[in-house]
Amino acid sequence: MASAEPDLLLVGLDHRSAPVELREQVSLAEEQAADALVHLLAREEIHEALVVSTCNRTEVYVDPRAPGAEEVVVDQVFRARAPEAAEPGRLFVRNGPEAARHLLRVASGLESMVLGEPEILGQVRQAGALAERVGAAGPVLGKLSRAALAAGKRARAETAIGEGAVSLGYATLELTRNIFDRLEGRRAFLLGAGEIARSAAKALTERAGLQITVTNRGEERLKEFLADFPQARPVPFEARGSGTAEADVVIAATGAGEAILTATDLRSAMRRRPDRPLLVVDLGVPRNVEPGARRVENLFLHDLDSLDGLIQKNLRRRREEVPKVEEIVAGELERFLRWWRGLEAEPLVARLQKQAEAIRQRELAAVLERFPAELHEEVEHLTRSLVRKILHHPSTRLRAQDEERTLPQLELVRELFQLGDEEE
Amino acid sequence: MDSFLLAATVLLPLLYLTATIAYGQSFFAESPRAGMLAPWVLRGALLLHAAYLAALWARYQQLPAASVSQATSLMSFALGLVYLVVEWRTRERSTGVWLVGLVLFFQLLASLLVGPPPPDRALFHEPLFALHVSFALLGYVAFAVAAVYGFLFLRLYRDLKAGRFGTFFGRLPPLAVLERMMVWALTLGFLAMTAGVTLGMVFVRRIYPDQWLTDPKILTSIALWLLYGLALLLRHLHQWQGRQTAVVSLAGLGTIIASLVTVNLLFTGFHGFR
Repeated sequence: MASAEPDLLLVGLDHRSAPVELREQVSLAEEQAADALVHLLAREEIHEALVVSTCNRTEVYVDPRAPGAEEVVVDQVFRARAPEAAEPGRLFVRNGPEAARHLLRVASGLESMVLGEPEILGQVRQAGALAERVGAAGPVLGKLSRAALAAGKRARAETAIGEGAVSLGYATLELTRNIFDRLEGRRAFLLGAGEIARSAAKALTERAGLQITVTNRGEERLKEFLADFPQARPVPFEARGSGTAEADVVIAATGAGEAILTATDLRSAMRRRPDRPLLVVDLGVPRNVEPGARRVENLFLHDLDSLDGLIQKNLRRRREEVPKVEEIVAGELERFLRWWRGLEAEPLVARLQKQAEAIRQRELAAVLERFPAELHEEVEHLTRSLVRKILHHPSTRLRAQDEERTLPQLELVRELFQLGDEEE
Repeated sequence: MDSFLLAATVLLPLLYLTATIAYGQSFFAESPRAGMLAPWVLRGALLLHAAYLAALWARYQQLPAASVSQATSLMSFALGLVYLVVEWRTRERSTGVWLVGLVLFFQLLASLLVGPPPPDRALFHEPLFALHVSFALLGYVAFAVAAVYGFLFLRLYRDLKAGRFGTFFGRLPPLAVLERMMVWALTLGFLAMTAGVTLGMVFVRRIYPDQWLTDPKILTSIALWLLYGLALLLRHLHQWQGRQTAVVSLAGLGTIIASLVTVNLLFTGFHGFR
């Protein structure tokens, strides 16, 4: 008989159990993941496999066919790439429903380094698609990855787990959205071309379509920036006054040891555009913008502390949503487990018979009146007998196969007769 | 009919209170259920309000603006209707608690000030006079809407200036939208009031040629008209920005309420509801 719970196995490591150097070594690009899946499937211990690999986690989910699957995964995926990955405390192992629950939590953003971050849902989707493409995901892991996607989508649609910016770049964007409408085509002026300026530029261009003007004292870094953002317009550092006056958002992120925008500069810039508000985000340490500029009318100056306040508020809000997401995960896991239990032969046979009986009754009701009343009982008997005889052999075979637990065949029967889940 | 009018004066504030609470739950507690319920309660309240005003019209055979209570109730109804249309067009419910709260305030005032039957005045049967009253009320309603947007603008402006990311941050439309809505409402109110004041001048010169300069309501209305006109002019000349305009819109609403209540109740004169 099939067991009451799925024999799933998860072996993996993530940002909590392994440092970035180790995560880098075991991280799998798409082709490597496909290769790993093919090699895992070649082993007799493994029936189905799925690999989720991102910069923060590498996790292998398998539906084992025989004992020893855990060792196979550890050896082939982890130890082969980084022997220290197999050291105690690095890898975590989950079995049965807990392995399934983990994937649902991952897709929902509960296991992410930044709680509720959105990219993971796409990464789980890609992992599922890859496993199906190489034939590694069968009915069980295919269903599990769909359950994970459903949980992830519901978590983001029904709760605020993914709401509010939690990085400097997106916090800047959130501030911009609270000041201006129709962001497309608005101008952002970047003072500085380093990593922080890039992250802000990325958020503003990719998510909101702002036009970027950039300036930097060093030529080399400016060129690197322009290589990454070819649509950005460079201006000389000395022209930062006019750049500020033209912009809607100014982001200062230079390593200058003193203020490169004074309150006087900004007051003068505002006089040239009295009708438009200006958001100035100072991401420099020491600060790049004179704090006194806060008093300039229609100008909104925010520094790192201010942005951190926004990020912390959003994180608190996301943390408050965790119980709701846990409920969604529990619900989707229960659906998955119900589906799994439905793969046992006996309930499947019962549903098949129930469906056939429903069809018989429906069809009979449509034609019974055409028969004389004295024949009704006979027609009833005949149709019931027909259905029973047609289903007798498939039912017997299904019950017999239950001994060998042939899930693909059972799933095929479900699909052929559109038997669906119990609740459907 | 009198018992219906009496019941409506009690029921209307209660219904608007329920709608305000529901909009408040939707805004502050982010309750989706309250967000779904609130517009239906408001629609129900406005339906009853329309029936109430129609009954007033039928009962006294004149425009239901012949007393402080009636005029305030008419304003409350118009404000509720304007908000419902704005919500329907923009699908934006975040300003509901404030605007419907103002509807509640005006209707509560109207219900509390219900008094003896208004005098049957020939003036109230003149179509041109009805137009004067309609324009004046439309102006007041638009100024009330501007004040609400002005209040929200100032809250968000101050939060953004101070880096306070509290209840208002992220739940209201962007600052630029609040400012645009405020200026749009101010402009509409100013145009309506200009028409109302002009039509009023036609009557006043005809009916009370000597008294109009001493009527506190006319003087207040002209002062308001000048204040709003000045605010719009300074804005047009780039001298004033959103913050100053918002302050004026709030001060204007305060003056309107003072004019409606204080001037009408404390001063005697030919103009108004005494």
